[in-house]
Amino acid sequence: MNRYFYIDAEGKQKGTFSPEELRQEGIKRDTLVWTQGMEQWKRAEETEELNFLFSDAYRKPLASEDQPPVRYDRPGESTETQQIQPMPRTWLVESILVTILPFMLCSSILSLLGIIGIVYAAQVESFYNRGDYAASLESSRSAAKWTKIAMWIAIGWIALIIIAIILFAVFIGSISGLAGMEDLLNT
Amino acid sequence: MRKELKIGIGAVVTVLVAAALYIFYTFDPETQPLFPKCPFLLATGYECPGCGSQRAVHSLLHFNIGTALKYNAFMVLAIPYIFLGIYLQYFGGKKRFPSVEKILFGRWAALALLAFILVFWIARNV
Repeated sequence: MNRYFYIDAEGKQKGTFSPEELRQEGIKRDTLVWTQGMEQWKRAEETEELNFLFSDAYRKPLASEDQPPVRYDRPGESTETQQIQPMPRTWLVESILVTILPFMLCSSILSLLGIIGIVYAAQVESFYNRGDYAASLESSRSAAKWTKIAMWIAIGWIALIIIAIILFAVFIGSISGLAGMEDLLNT
Repeated sequence: MRKELKIGIGAVVTVLVAAALYIFYTFDPETQPLFPKCPFLLATGYECPGCGSQRAVHSLLHFNIGTALKYNAFMVLAIPYIFLGIYLQYFGGKKRFPSVEKILFGRWAALALLAFILVFWIARNV
């Protein structure tokens, strides 16, 4: 189970807590949390592991849920730099790679996913340059999502090909014996 | 990302790439039935932008650059581009050559690449 930092009502970073301890701390749906491996601070309700805190069984009456969420930098970075946040990761290189590589694996349909990734990835920089950090972050997440979907399907596809090759080799081996197999390899 | 995880992924990728290179060197995709076939080509009879890239890789591994270019010129040119991208993103090239990344993997490069793929796609089928 991960241990989380969270941002309290005064904007102070606190941590680390297990999900159960977070509940006792009284975090809300829109409390920003962060744990190792996360790209950005996220609202607690968007974090899979913390989702259960807000299910009906766990719900406690909460006073002020209407406060707008505020974004903060990661722990360790100065909170003074909120205005000049670094550009979110663009994922351009990755999305370009998952667009080109499927062509080599004869799964050109996958490239469509890569192209969606590219479109979002290109938006990250334009939004950021326009000063719209939230939109930029949103595009970055979408780009990451599509790129990763394409990547995992590609990995599954490669695994399938490998299995097919092994099955094929076993099949040929079983019907013609090892000598026959060698002949096949040498053609 | 944790360091052990990074090393693990690196090891798996290295083994897979080595295995793939060995397979592509030993077997000729032209004559062997065990290589994946392009669903687009089977369905429409037209070649997709990637058709021929496996044969091209086989030829490249045997240093037949001319044959490789004939099979799929785009993919032969894309290979150094792919390696450059991986280097820039995962081996610190981004920090050392930020301008190269900006030009070759920027927004306009991505757009130009898509346009190029489209043109190549049409051109090889007419």
